Amino acid sequence: MAGAVADRSWRASTPEAIDADLAVLWRDVGRGETSVARAVMSNLIVFRSPASGGGDDMAALIAGAPVEEVAARHPSRVIVLEHCHGEAPRAPSAAAVGILTFGPPAARYGVELIVVRSACPEPSLLSILRRFVRGDIPTSIWWTEDISDAAPSGALLTVGRQLVFDSRRWRDVRRGAAAMAPLVRHHRVDLADVNWRRLAPLRRALTHARGPFQSGAWRSVEVGVSHAAEEAALAWLFFGWLRGQGVRCAEPTPMPQGAATAPENEGSSALLAVAIGDMHATLSPRGADVVCPEAPPLSVAAAVESEADAVAAELRSLAPDRVLAAALEAIVERFER
Amino acid sequence: MTIVIFGGGGDLARRKLLPALYNLHVDGVLPPRLAIVGVGRRPMSDDEYRAFAKEGVERFSRRPIDARAWDAFAAALSFVAAEVDGDRALAPLGARLDVIEHERGLSGDRIYYLAIPPTLFAPTVKQLARSRFVPPPEGTIARVIVEKPIGRDLQSARVINDAIAEVFQEKQVYRIDHYLGKETVQNILVMRFANSIFEPLFNQKYVDHVQITVAEEEGVGTRAGYYEEAGALRDMVQNHILQLTAMVAMEPPHSLDADVIRDERLEVLKSLRPIAGADVDANVVRAQYGPGFILGKAAPGYTQESGVAPTSTTETYVALRVSIDNWRWAGVPFFLRTGKRLPKRASEISVHLKEVPPILFNADPGARLDPTILSIRIQPDEGFSLGINSKVPGPHVQIYPVKMDFHYGSTFGGTSPEAYERLLLDVIAGDTTLFMRRDAVEAAWQWVMPILDRWAERGRDGLAAYPAGEWGPAEGEALIESTGRRWLAP
Repeated sequence: MAGAVADRSWRASTPEAIDADLAVLWRDVGRGETSVARAVMSNLIVFRSPASGGGDDMAALIAGAPVEEVAARHPSRVIVLEHCHGEAPRAPSAAAVGILTFGPPAARYGVELIVVRSACPEPSLLSILRRFVRGDIPTSIWWTEDISDAAPSGALLTVGRQLVFDSRRWRDVRRGAAAMAPLVRHHRVDLADVNWRRLAPLRRALTHARGPFQSGAWRSVEVGVSHAAEEAALAWLFFGWLRGQGVRCAEPTPMPQGAATAPENEGSSALLAVAIGDMHATLSPRGADVVCPEAPPLSVAAAVESEADAVAAELRSLAPDRVLAAALEAIVERFER
Repeated sequence: MTIVIFGGGGDLARRKLLPALYNLHVDGVLPPRLAIVGVGRRPMSDDEYRAFAKEGVERFSRRPIDARAWDAFAAALSFVAAEVDGDRALAPLGARLDVIEHERGLSGDRIYYLAIPPTLFAPTVKQLARSRFVPPPEGTIARVIVEKPIGRDLQSARVINDAIAEVFQEKQVYRIDHYLGKETVQNILVMRFANSIFEPLFNQKYVDHVQITVAEEEGVGTRAGYYEEAGALRDMVQNHILQLTAMVAMEPPHSLDADVIRDERLEVLKSLRPIAGADVDANVVRAQYGPGFILGKAAPGYTQESGVAPTSTTETYVALRVSIDNWRWAGVPFFLRTGKRLPKRASEISVHLKEVPPILFNADPGARLDPTILSIRIQPDEGFSLGINSKVPGPHVQIYPVKMDFHYGSTFGGTSPEAYERLLLDVIAGDTTLFMRRDAVEAAWQWVMPILDRWAERGRDGLAAYPAGEWGPAEGEALIESTGRRWLAP
């Protein structure tokens, strides 16, 4: 089963000794009774703040993000970079390397994990990344922090083809949009928002119920959207999606207290509530439901996927998501007005 | 057998030769009767030399010292102080060798390893002849090992080769290019000619281009004196990279005989299209590293390094677009690059096959499929991989490039022998396959000379710059990107 770690081999290392220590670990793994295939489909650079819990074992070093689960689903050379923002600049101070093995004995595969703690200035971070990424496979950057709080610099993004982030973490959508502005404008990397995936059932349901954007059905309408607490970013993505397609949409508003459950979604709290003329739609964790007077209700189920599933699915996608890019651009434009 | 190492107290002996000989001893593959005699200017007792060797083995051997094995190995070590100047300079060495060989019951077969600066090659071999160290061909064995650089241009290489040829026959001369001793380089022949899948693809019909990258993370270090005179083209391209090119591009030899294989490698060197005059500016990029970062730490620029002139124009990076004008490779560019202070130490050859037609799965111009690439990793993490496009499991047709990856370390376990181990063993066995013949050395110089001449004409003009820790200058990227391709970082 993907996600179940069969074994963890790890050792403390230094940045200079990482390659040699990994080679030793692979040799050790190779001496075991079960053969282990090296699995590496991409470089996955995981940016994160230093682990708050402390501890030096591998589990502690990667706590806080489902790194192992993602590695199981999309085997990568995982490079966890703990960057200590605001500390006095200094060279990388600590490192660890590990090999996670997954799968049944007959089909066991191993994934490399490199953890580097650094407080060095950002330009020099690139030299760390260039050292450890393999050039013959795609490189993705997984930003596990709130981009509205700490955004990746353009220089850092030059090492990757894709930036995976989760706008659900944005505490402040306006600041998140400001942080996204240079990324959206310069198209340096493919943007992949895990939160965007949650919007998929609603997008599919509405385009099914109302027809494609090119049809006249969207031309004269004004769309309203309200959101549950903590789902402002999702509502703004919806706003951006429609604006990006040339549809008029009012700015998202918070839902009134206690108005979050649609009858057909009983037991499942609505995340978004949408009104398009006399058509009403809701998005809940179960999926999207559309109600309109002249047609039977319509439902689209949400895919059951964990955060690790969602991140892995984005990592496997090599084509840019142009619809998401247009949505983000619309959000950025709105907040820059 | 007696191995006489001129420069036996030097850095090469300490870092490479003595650790290699120790590992061969541990493997039990050295001749049962053996003496290793270090020769150097600075006097040292035998015990001091053993301590010197032990320190080198402890620091640089791929295996830790085993006390019993070391004692037996150390017993074979001796040291003789000698100079190559003067008429009777090697007389003390001759007397000492006679004693050692007599005491140990050795036959007088000798290998002379010239681990000394190239300026001393000619005087040393002359002294060997004058001191009657080189018996007639029908007598005992006498072989000479010559380290690179063999000259700093075609003329000086010929002078050295002429001097050696006055004393030794070509079959007695072993010119080391240690890259040829690396397991993965030897495996190029096996991979190409022992597998039916690859060789039919190695030609202009299927290959789009070939890249060879030899990247060094280190700067000039303590070798500024040498490097200032050499530069990246002489230090890396003229020998290692052209030899790698020859291994990848050579025709199938009709046998594994050393000279047959060396003939085929030579043919490739002779087929390289000359780059001269203004063509040098269009096809060769040279650059020097400036200040930057390596692994998060600040690194000085080349001209700030100790021993480097502030106005130096020595290139620390070179990238070339090379054509091989033969039937097999016509129209297939070979992109070669090497540099110091690049992001990592890595040597890699990648053979990029032609793209599939832009239909079916490759129809979207905005999302072209990765071409199939065969990557041969020479160091570190020796092995090779083949990238192929595969469907991602699921209801949609989604394609992702995956790797078929072979790693020496985890496949065969243990550590691969160092290049010098293999090469020393070959010299002992008299196998010249992995050594450079005189004609190959001179063919490589002949090809390189017009580039050096052009740079000499232009001086600083055309010397690009790159920050330490980056993959070279923008001009290096432009060299390949102007053809619609891009460098594959190791």
